[in-house]
Amino acid sequence: MSTATRRVSGAGVSRPLHLRLIEREAPMGYILLLPTLLVLGTFLAWPFLFGLWLSVTSAELSDPGHFIGFGNYNFEFKIDHPFWTSFWNTFLYTGVTTVFKFTLGLSMALLLNQIFPLQRFVRAALLLPWIIPTVLSTLAWKWMFDPTFSVVNWVAVHLHLVAAPGPNWFGGTSTAMAALMIVNTWRGMPFYGIAFLAGLQTIPLDLYEAARVDGANRWQQFLHITLPLLRPVLLVVLLLSTILTFADFQVPFVLTNGAPYNSTHVLATWAYQWGVPGGAIGLGASVSLVLFPVLSIIIAGVLVLLRRPE
Amino acid sequence: MRLPLAEFGDSLFGEEKMADLEDKPYDPEREAWTRRRFLKAAGLVAAGAAAVPILEACGGGGGGGGGALTTGKAPVPRQGASIRLLQWVHFVPAADTEFIRQCTEFGTKYGVTVAVERITADQLIAKTAADVESNSGPDIIQMQYGWPHLYDAACVDVSNEVGILKSKLGAVASVNDAFCKVNGVYKAIPYTIVPNAFTYRTDLLSQAGVTSWPKTWTEFAAAAAKMKAANLQPFAQTDGHAYGDSLTMWNPVLWSHGATEVKADGKTVTINSKETRAAIAWAQNAVKGGFVVHPEWLDPDNNQAYHANRISATLNGASIYIREKVEFHHYDSVSDNGVVPAGPKGLYTMNLIFNHAVMKWSPEKETAKALIMYLMDKTNYLKYTDIAGGYNAGPFAAFDNDPVWTKDPKMKAFHDVVATGKWPGWPATPSKQTAQSQQQYIVADMFAKAIANGDTESAVKEAESRLQAIFSRPG
Amino acid sequence: MDRLAGRWIRIYIPILLFILITLFPFYWMTVTSFKSASELFDFNQSPLFVAAPTLEWYKILFFQTNFWHWTVNTTIVAVVSTSISLFCSVLAGYALGRLRFRGADAIGWGIFITYLVPPTLLFLPLAFVIRDLHLFNNLWALILTYPTFLIPFCTWLLIGYFKGIPRELEESALVDGASRWQAMMRIAIPLALPGILSAGMFAFTLSWNEFLYSLIFMNDSLSKTIPVGVTTEFIKGDEFYWGVLMAAALLGSIPVALLYSFFVDYFVAGMTAGAVKG
Repeated sequence: MSTATRRVSGAGVSRPLHLRLIEREAPMGYILLLPTLLVLGTFLAWPFLFGLWLSVTSAELSDPGHFIGFGNYNFEFKIDHPFWTSFWNTFLYTGVTTVFKFTLGLSMALLLNQIFPLQRFVRAALLLPWIIPTVLSTLAWKWMFDPTFSVVNWVAVHLHLVAAPGPNWFGGTSTAMAALMIVNTWRGMPFYGIAFLAGLQTIPLDLYEAARVDGANRWQQFLHITLPLLRPVLLVVLLLSTILTFADFQVPFVLTNGAPYNSTHVLATWAYQWGVPGGAIGLGASVSLVLFPVLSIIIAGVLVLLRRPE
Repeated sequence: MRLPLAEFGDSLFGEEKMADLEDKPYDPEREAWTRRRFLKAAGLVAAGAAAVPILEACGGGGGGGGGALTTGKAPVPRQGASIRLLQWVHFVPAADTEFIRQCTEFGTKYGVTVAVERITADQLIAKTAADVESNSGPDIIQMQYGWPHLYDAACVDVSNEVGILKSKLGAVASVNDAFCKVNGVYKAIPYTIVPNAFTYRTDLLSQAGVTSWPKTWTEFAAAAAKMKAANLQPFAQTDGHAYGDSLTMWNPVLWSHGATEVKADGKTVTINSKETRAAIAWAQNAVKGGFVVHPEWLDPDNNQAYHANRISATLNGASIYIREKVEFHHYDSVSDNGVVPAGPKGLYTMNLIFNHAVMKWSPEKETAKALIMYLMDKTNYLKYTDIAGGYNAGPFAAFDNDPVWTKDPKMKAFHDVVATGKWPGWPATPSKQTAQSQQQYIVADMFAKAIANGDTESAVKEAESRLQAIFSRPG
Repeated sequence: MDRLAGRWIRIYIPILLFILITLFPFYWMTVTSFKSASELFDFNQSPLFVAAPTLEWYKILFFQTNFWHWTVNTTIVAVVSTSISLFCSVLAGYALGRLRFRGADAIGWGIFITYLVPPTLLFLPLAFVIRDLHLFNNLWALILTYPTFLIPFCTWLLIGYFKGIPRELEESALVDGASRWQAMMRIAIPLALPGILSAGMFAFTLSWNEFLYSLIFMNDSLSKTIPVGVTTEFIKGDEFYWGVLMAAALLGSIPVALLYSFFVDYFVAGMTAGAVKG
């Protein structure tokens, strides 16, 4: 195709009909979406629908089962006690870690936004917890919280922060939950930090200059410039992280797997417990789907908040 | 190569039965050859040259009841076949090496490609579940505990092979039998037992005045108290969501006090009983006296604590003792092993049980069966248990006098706990429900909770309602 | 002098604290990986230092396991699935961020909603799909399934990025006679490169770390990825081989860590537009 014809065709005069058609916005849009829809359709939508179907059947491993309506949900809600523990644990786990990840992440971003020596090195170093494979870092934490050889306790005892031998992390219901939360926060915080840092860097510096001229102190600047302008990033990161934390499986599974006595199960591990070792995949599917409507509502809420100012 | 032998019936070979050649390595090719010769020569084969298949044919009918298929024919590997076998990573690395060596040996002998895939025990569950759900995967999967009952429909009938093995090796250990046999049909071939006994420090115990390993739980609690009084390292045990050590401790405690989770009918929940309360009371008192129970410990924790000189006795597989003996050499000379103590209602033990199932999706079922038969051959198997150093016990009567138990006299306890072994959910036959109860750690959790907060009633009620939830679900 | 003290209190000390908390586990992993088996369980001396360093665990890792294979596998899977995800997301991001057509909003939502699907629900049905495609034990099983959790984030990031590029730039190109495809390829996509790089790093990290699918779909030792290989082979029976586990965890994170140490600023810059406009 020569330059001349391209010019003409660009104006849409003599180009063949099919070319003009696919260059209209709608057909082009659909074509561009095709690969994505294909991948997501095959490897996500279909298995998801299959999962939905499983949740209303009596399916067991190696037995397709039959339709039982809301039988599984009924069983979970009314008969299976650890379900409710797992349900509330999931909210507690997500809620507490999100607050910590948010606060620490924001502080980290504000710090990283300053100028200091070795800046790039520090940024990369602080991202490390998020980079290392979760299973492996969680195993490392398991070793750090080890009932007999906890280095965390060793350090705390030697710094005289706690009395020897220190907390039995996985032995008590609340300390075990705390351990899960610490690991999740440690791992998730860097992502918050980096994303918030990205947001901070888009805020024009002259806004702060102007505020300073008007006599605003640092706190006022933070409250009236930083926070409002950062709002979209904050919400989006919150949203993503909430979803991922609600579904978190690896950390609770590797660290406690529900112990002591089913007090630290979250929905993901409880669903796994029924579906995989228990072989009741219908039941497992129903447990993992319980959060779906809840999450949808939360997300709809956040998205509404996100769009309002525009 | 395969010839129908079954039609000849048992009586024809009656006399050959006398020839006890069970030690001959398993060799299907030679067997096939001898069968042909045998048929040709119509009984002129010298006794002793080929008694193995004959024996197999005789014993074959004995395996299983129900619709079990028992032809008495040994499975014959197909040249050019390839087989994948999935099992756990053995604690003794050399045992895995030997296992793989035998698989490879089988492969070279019969022109079969054998791939052994090994994975951590906990993860084997997820893997097997996915394979069963997608109806594809390795030809042979190691079934742990009651899995053949969970994955019943995905495992092929191996009654014939178990029958042959029984005729060569004698009766199947009762727990392997219960786990392998689903509705009268063998769905897995008994493979191994990982016996669980107490490993203890003789030096520390004698310092505290405990001169012999306790025979009963009462003595055990008293000994634990003596350790505390002498301010020595405690007796300690796992009670977390541990794949092995929690189950092998707390189920026997329950049973030996006369309590059970369910009745033999596999439906009626019986945990809410005075026997259960007695068992819990024993545990609570023992803990008050000085026995340390860790609701957070998992399988590795008691090993680590023992190696680090933090505890003086714990119930475990032989791994602690073996690793001391082979690797650390710190406390091996002052360590010994003792049988699980008895309760007022008798002596009960629980061990880890593994069996091999041939999966229904396998395109090479016969070769897969032949491979297992090869591994279960007495000579081969004894090589394996020898290298495993007593971590494994054979699941047939013939392995009862495995030299590994006498080679190191301290291993005797691991031999002795095998015969008294039961399975989780006993006396009900293993089922989906008993497997679920086991995997949700209901018994261990009940003890952990009652020990932690002293509230026996609520712990028992909780266990009862959990069990009722499980047993109310359709099988 | 006062100013400097203020900077220490406000900036340096908090940063040091952050570094301490984030990096301590890595320090502990390093220390663990050089300790002999008996020293690991010896807390009579300070566990924070190694008394008699040993390279035993690294030797085991390099010479007695398939660690190199796992690294190669993980790299292949991460690179290819990231490329596929980027290809899909760039196109989808452009379509949803730039073009106006019926259903665009609904599809955008749909892609986002897929994030809500719990992976624990998916893996058993997915095993079905993988079986039907005969991909068990094949790296393609991972290459094709990882995009399911990579595409949603990348697309979402890039929608924002494309929205942030002034329409006029493309429109003037159209007036100059370029076709829409040309405008997309020559103007919008190059301008979105920082966002694409950022999305790529994100995707690469997630695929490098993925565990569950890799555990389920890969069987023999030669085809495992690092997280799965390490955890399936160094927990033997009831003994954790902490030394090898930690050595492998450290070595397994080095490639990604290197990537970030070079590109962290781009990563941050790339997140910006997407995150803000999302």
